[in-house]
Amino acid sequence: MSLIVRNLTKKYGDKVVLENLSFEIKESGVYALLGTNGAGKTTTLRLILGMLAGNGGEVLWKGKPLDAVNANVGYLAEERGLYPKYTLIDQLLYFARLRGVPRDTAMERIKYWSERLMVDEYIFPPKTRGRKSKPYKAEQLSKGNQQKIQLMAALISDPELLILDEPLAGLDPVNTDLFKSIIHEEIAAGKYLIMSSHQMPTIEEFCSDITILHRGKVVLQGNLNEIKKGYGRVNLFIKCESDISSYIPRFGLTIVKKTPGEYHLKVQKEQQAMDFLSQLIRDNISIIRFELREPSLHEIFVEKVGVANE
Amino acid sequence: MNKNDLSGWKNVFTFTLVQTLKNKAYIITYIILIILALISIHVINMISSPDNTDMDEPIEINKVYVNNQTQLTGLDFNEIIDDERLSHIVFETLNEDYDALADRIENSEKDSAILNITHDEGMFRLEFLVSSGKKLSNEEWFQLSGTIADEFESFKNNPLGITEEQLRAVNSEIATEISVYDSEGNKVIEKDTSITYSEYWFIYGILFTVMMVNIMASTQIATSIVTEKSSRVIEFLLISIKPLALMIGKILAMLTAVLVQVVSLIIVVFLSNKLSSAFSSGNSGAGLSQLLPADIFNNLNPINILFCLLVVVLGMTFYAALAGLTGATVSRLEEMNEGLTLFTFVNMAGAYIGIGAANVLTGPGVNGYVIFSMLFPLSSPFLLPGAILTGKAGPLLIAGAVVLQLIFIMLLFRFVARVYEAVILHNGSRIKFNELFKLYKSGSEEGTL
Repeated sequence: MSLIVRNLTKKYGDKVVLENLSFEIKESGVYALLGTNGAGKTTTLRLILGMLAGNGGEVLWKGKPLDAVNANVGYLAEERGLYPKYTLIDQLLYFARLRGVPRDTAMERIKYWSERLMVDEYIFPPKTRGRKSKPYKAEQLSKGNQQKIQLMAALISDPELLILDEPLAGLDPVNTDLFKSIIHEEIAAGKYLIMSSHQMPTIEEFCSDITILHRGKVVLQGNLNEIKKGYGRVNLFIKCESDISSYIPRFGLTIVKKTPGEYHLKVQKEQQAMDFLSQLIRDNISIIRFELREPSLHEIFVEKVGVANE
Repeated sequence: MNKNDLSGWKNVFTFTLVQTLKNKAYIITYIILIILALISIHVINMISSPDNTDMDEPIEINKVYVNNQTQLTGLDFNEIIDDERLSHIVFETLNEDYDALADRIENSEKDSAILNITHDEGMFRLEFLVSSGKKLSNEEWFQLSGTIADEFESFKNNPLGITEEQLRAVNSEIATEISVYDSEGNKVIEKDTSITYSEYWFIYGILFTVMMVNIMASTQIATSIVTEKSSRVIEFLLISIKPLALMIGKILAMLTAVLVQVVSLIIVVFLSNKLSSAFSSGNSGAGLSQLLPADIFNNLNPINILFCLLVVVLGMTFYAALAGLTGATVSRLEEMNEGLTLFTFVNMAGAYIGIGAANVLTGPGVNGYVIFSMLFPLSSPFLLPGAILTGKAGPLLIAGAVVLQLIFIMLLFRFVARVYEAVILHNGSRIKFNELFKLYKSGSEEGTL
């Protein structure tokens, strides 16, 4: 079972919004699509799902062209949407029916997910004074709770392929953790996920493979660990009790960023950092933090998009 | 367009229909319309006969004093009035003080009246003076004054020596006729096909109803599509169903909801008529029989009703698809009115073509314009149902109109299928119609949006 995206292209008139995007998800896990606003992430997801007709390329799921209507696919769109005036249970049952889920199964899943996401009081309002309360409509819910209902809609068919467009955008820390735990569960259950996000730490937490898009073009693609290894441990973060500014030029280090008491330095080789550290110890300078590491995804992203802009 | 493009429309249909029927606004409108329909016939009966007067009872005026201020002599209404409701009235020439008589009528002789007859500037004027407490219905006054006026007409002509027969001859209308004879010298008789005044209003009434229902249903469809677009639900729906199936399910659900209202209203109006007939005495069933052409029920058979429904449903499907497409070109609810301008224009144009044809039908013969209006898919849903029920459209014409409607619907759906996918996800300013045609030409794969 794999998802292959091959030479996917989309044009609007003369404007190319996505150019020859290719990638493959060979095993279960999360594949990340990164990019600035307008880079073509949402267009890519819509093309994969067949919502938009492309101008070239193909999407194969289990070796056959992906037909989202008939395949078991779940989708959480970037722009959240529910019918504001309809009750939550009616909407969820409708979405389940459209995905071909029998009513009984749909009810079981709605109960499970509503408890898991802590929205059961809105979907199955408890009786008050022996009377059944009115079921909630989408417009009566907060944005975060509406987002939970939409995640339920995406998961209602227990999809094999789950596409999440900015799933954590706009959530508070508690609900972010809740969503993350569900994504972890889906990965553990052997699901295939494609996720687009601006939150780099989240991508680093979940994703093994990434594509960075910029203005419809791929600027970086591959396994995240290998990409980082390719950069090497060139980022040095150091915080001392006394001033070390005179040491930096002596060891050929470049200052990337300076905050009160802390430096982010760029090194050419790891040995430079070791020599620097040895000298500080010899001079009895009290060190609070010394961290030599690979660049973060955030740094790689900013660097790649910056280069592409130039 | 293939089978896969349409799968799932039933789910959309069921959900949309159930939600529409559960909608508070729909339920309230429905209840109000049903109540109005239920009381409509009774109200019509009350308006046409406000005091529920028995049409056989004598009018409550026993004596009329005739105050003749003209040169005419020998005015004796006692001899000539033979109407059952008026024959008891005694006519007496006024030969006392006018003011004293007027006072007496006002205070004590309330069942009497003074008839003033004057002649001024070439016009005879007949004026009744009654007690302020005298309550006669309009219908009774019309009968009394009409009968007196008719009789006065003959008095007026008597001094000239003109008989009634001569007067009729003088007043007769002049008609011209051109006759056509065939090669054997037999007169070719052409049937008079002109519709009566009430038939015209009947056709007009149906036309107006279909137009209103059409606008109502189409606006609901467009609103529903714009709501799905503006609330972004559409993104989620499109992974489960193709846009065309979504639109078809929605259109059929909205049409069903509106038809439920209309059919219920028609049933309730007939029920109201029956109830009104049962509870009223004397003028039973006056409401509907006053409104409908006398021979309407000759054409009211299951086949004609089926044809009418077919023509209306096909027409509304066409207009609904057009409204659906229009809705898809708009991204925000506040832009919907602007988006629907062209749709409303097309709808009105279709209705006006139908009204024009109904006017033409009041004259003799059926010309090319009428046939065009009955066949043209934009106007046929408005005109044809009325024409079928008044017997002005034959099976061949109906079949032609249905075939043309089907062709138009297929062409529109072909167009919609090609542009709808590109349009439905569009988010931004309204897409203009020339852009839609560009999109159609270039195909949805080469969108220019």
